[in-house]
Amino acid sequence: MLLFGGKTLDKQLEHRPEHVTYCTKCVVSNQRPRITFDDKGVCSACHYAHEKHNVIDWNEREKMLVDLLDRYRSKDGSYDCIVPGSGGKDSGYVAHQLKYVYGMHPLTVTWAPHIYTDIGWKNYLAFKDSGFDNVLVFPNGVLHRKLSKVAFELWGDHFKVFGLGQKALAFHMSVKFGIPLVFYGESGEIEYGGSTKNKGKPYEDVEDWSELYFAGSSLTALTEEGLRAGVFTKQEVEHEKFSFYWHPPLDQLRKIDAQMHWFSYYKKWVPQENYYYTAEHTGFQANPVRSEGTYSKYASLDDKTDGFHFYLGFVKFGIGRATSDAAHEIRDGHITREEGISLVHRYDGEFPKKYFPEFLEYLKINEEEFWEVIDLYRTMSPHLWDKSSGQWVLKHRVK
Amino acid sequence: MRRTLRIIPRLDIKGPNLVKGIHLEGLRVLGKPWDFAHTYYREGADELIYIDAVASLYGRNNLLEIVKKTAENVFIPLTVGGGVRSLEDMRNLLCAGADKIAINTAAVHQPDLITQGAKMFGSQCIVGSIQAKLIDGRYYAYTDNAREFTELDVFDWARRLVDLGAGEILVTSIDQEGTAKGYELNLVRRLSETLTVPLIVCGGCGRPEHVADVAGLPGVDAVCASSIFHYNYLSSVATRENYEAEGNIEFLKKNRGGTPFMSTQLAVSSIGRVKEFLCSRGIPCRWPLS
Amino acid sequence: MRQDKIVIVDYRMGNLFNLQRAITFLGYSAEITSDPAVIRRADRILLPGVGAFEKAMQELDRADLIGVLKESVDQGKMMLGICLGMQLLFTKSFEFGEHRGLDFIRGQVVRFHRSESEITELKIPQIGWNSVEKPSAGPAWEKGILASVSPGTYFYFVHSFVCCPEEPAAVVAETQYGKDRFCSVTHRGNLWGCQFHPERSGEHGLSLLKSFIEL
Repeated sequence: MLLFGGKTLDKQLEHRPEHVTYCTKCVVSNQRPRITFDDKGVCSACHYAHEKHNVIDWNEREKMLVDLLDRYRSKDGSYDCIVPGSGGKDSGYVAHQLKYVYGMHPLTVTWAPHIYTDIGWKNYLAFKDSGFDNVLVFPNGVLHRKLSKVAFELWGDHFKVFGLGQKALAFHMSVKFGIPLVFYGESGEIEYGGSTKNKGKPYEDVEDWSELYFAGSSLTALTEEGLRAGVFTKQEVEHEKFSFYWHPPLDQLRKIDAQMHWFSYYKKWVPQENYYYTAEHTGFQANPVRSEGTYSKYASLDDKTDGFHFYLGFVKFGIGRATSDAAHEIRDGHITREEGISLVHRYDGEFPKKYFPEFLEYLKINEEEFWEVIDLYRTMSPHLWDKSSGQWVLKHRVK
Repeated sequence: MRRTLRIIPRLDIKGPNLVKGIHLEGLRVLGKPWDFAHTYYREGADELIYIDAVASLYGRNNLLEIVKKTAENVFIPLTVGGGVRSLEDMRNLLCAGADKIAINTAAVHQPDLITQGAKMFGSQCIVGSIQAKLIDGRYYAYTDNAREFTELDVFDWARRLVDLGAGEILVTSIDQEGTAKGYELNLVRRLSETLTVPLIVCGGCGRPEHVADVAGLPGVDAVCASSIFHYNYLSSVATRENYEAEGNIEFLKKNRGGTPFMSTQLAVSSIGRVKEFLCSRGIPCRWPLS
Repeated sequence: MRQDKIVIVDYRMGNLFNLQRAITFLGYSAEITSDPAVIRRADRILLPGVGAFEKAMQELDRADLIGVLKESVDQGKMMLGICLGMQLLFTKSFEFGEHRGLDFIRGQVVRFHRSESEITELKIPQIGWNSVEKPSAGPAWEKGILASVSPGTYFYFVHSFVCCPEEPAAVVAETQYGKDRFCSVTHRGNLWGCQFHPERSGEHGLSLLKSFIEL
């Protein structure tokens, strides 16, 4: 039984173009939220990649980084910047560079995954053992799971719940510790085909940031709907603050002039290079097997449930994990488009069965309920899915 | 009398390029395979191994041209592997210049291929290749360049490969590969004590001492190494190539000057220096060259 | 450069192309052939070989090559047998039974002796580099194909069986492998044989091939 009778609050579904086209350079489709294609069919992420590899003066950008850091660097060893992250290849790279190459004193902060994988925990420990102070924050297990349960159906993605906390944590710590400078790894929007609004800027305004990450997917809607459906108790909704899922009040951020810079603005961002870097410097280890739904072993390893985030992405947009991994590797020139297509055909949409029982247990749903939600989102995507043969078939594949 | 240890540089290849990963992951380009191969030949390598790192991933075979080009001026034994899945693949590679064929993934799915290959080309031509990972105290075999888990126990599988007709066994430790922290000694020791065919060990070599550690085991016949040699010869191997064709060339762009990689673990070395070190430890090898 | 016709006998066993590449690298050319008529016109003959003795003899027979090889020997043509090719020159082999060879040189081909205690260090087949040395009995270090090679030089071996020429004079170089000291280079008249693979033995292997071609 669907909890919400077939309702969805996922606004991204409304903006999907009816007609599916694929980028002529990489493998991503126009279904990706906020992506744009030019008149030659090349996507915005590929455009940026071209600039990244051929146009941007990285020496110039590094000078800007050094200038920035010179202004913030503490003289007494106290924390002068915050680096959020899991201790994986991206945050590990950023933290290590800031500390050991640029002489900063980062405080690293981590928002715990829904369920730690062994490799994720191991990498996290190796990271902090390579020489970093770290604050690890676990959300309230009960509430986090309930939110996830509701989000799974109402947003078609439980993982967004993790995402809210992940995005907000650095600024919470920023306010609490009085450290205004925050460094994210890359701007996902610019690197992977989202909004290009902030291309050419080293950081986004707190207003933009709060708008992008918190306005559309409101936690309040989750808790209210969840209450109505009997997932949350009245006590929970009225007396719990859920403060970690929201950004801190904007005036507190403005007061300390909190700024969230992207490291990718200052140093050319190549995820595979981050892998090599952290394997060398922070003890990062790749996944022993390829992650389900893709060929890759070095990206996004620490949450047992993230396979379902990618799987839902495949259902709602026809874009699975292999597509995401192949797309950036094509843009960075590691593989050719033909190879990317081959990888997508082979792995995209592979069901993440390894942690399926745990995921069901985590959300306290059964298999039937799981598939009801999947089918719900498939029926909301008739331009992507066809069931005339009795089986769900994806109508379009990259070629 | 002790056996003469063989030193075998291993070259992982993607497309036209020599690549080097860590735990067999990552496609960092270091240059053209034949340039490195020729250098290693002149520098005293006893054999060479070429592995197509993505052949199983893409279901294709790509090495014929590279093998042919190498065979024109490299006159030491060459073992080639990666995505070999039929007798025809083997024959093509042998005609192109390979002396031995390494088989991993295809052997797991179709063990009879080893037997057929041994019958047709001789056991000495067939190298059973195993990628081993330690999980909860046991070593398991992986396929597809360390992407897919199998239930196979490495030691059982090695014995089975020999029974099927493999003339040598090549074992690579996924855990150690690319880390420069040394070979997986438990794995190597156990295998060396039970195998009756020559054993080639691979994965983790970061300094000459590591070679000596495994060469001290009587049942180890040959050692493979990558990082220690590739990063050593990188700056001297032809650097005027245009690398734009494909692959992760970020490292090359930044490091033509030879900035050390993994310098806390990796002590790059020439082949000669490794061999001298072995001789000083009483381990016979082919050195000096003349 | 001499214009001798060099052929490599193709009886479907052995990596012929690498041998051909080595000869090309040296500036000569060799034709790979299984045609008796072509072999008849050759001045120098290379007999490679990888695999089993019995099968090799069967293949030579099937391709009608035994006769022309015998003729060539009788005519005094230069011939070099490599690895299994060297073993085929002898009278018989005990590999998987007892099988007749070409009998151009009197002697037998037997397995390495091996004591149980050595089974894991010195493995059979011998795969790897080993040195060729002066014979303990018989002739001093000969010229011929060993002209540019000094005792103690390493070559690449892959074999489980070794040749035992009847006459000590036919043993021109020996190699030690465990308790076995075996004949690694044999010579009789215009016949030469090497147990190792010169085309895979680097510079010294190439020198040896060059010496053979220029004999």
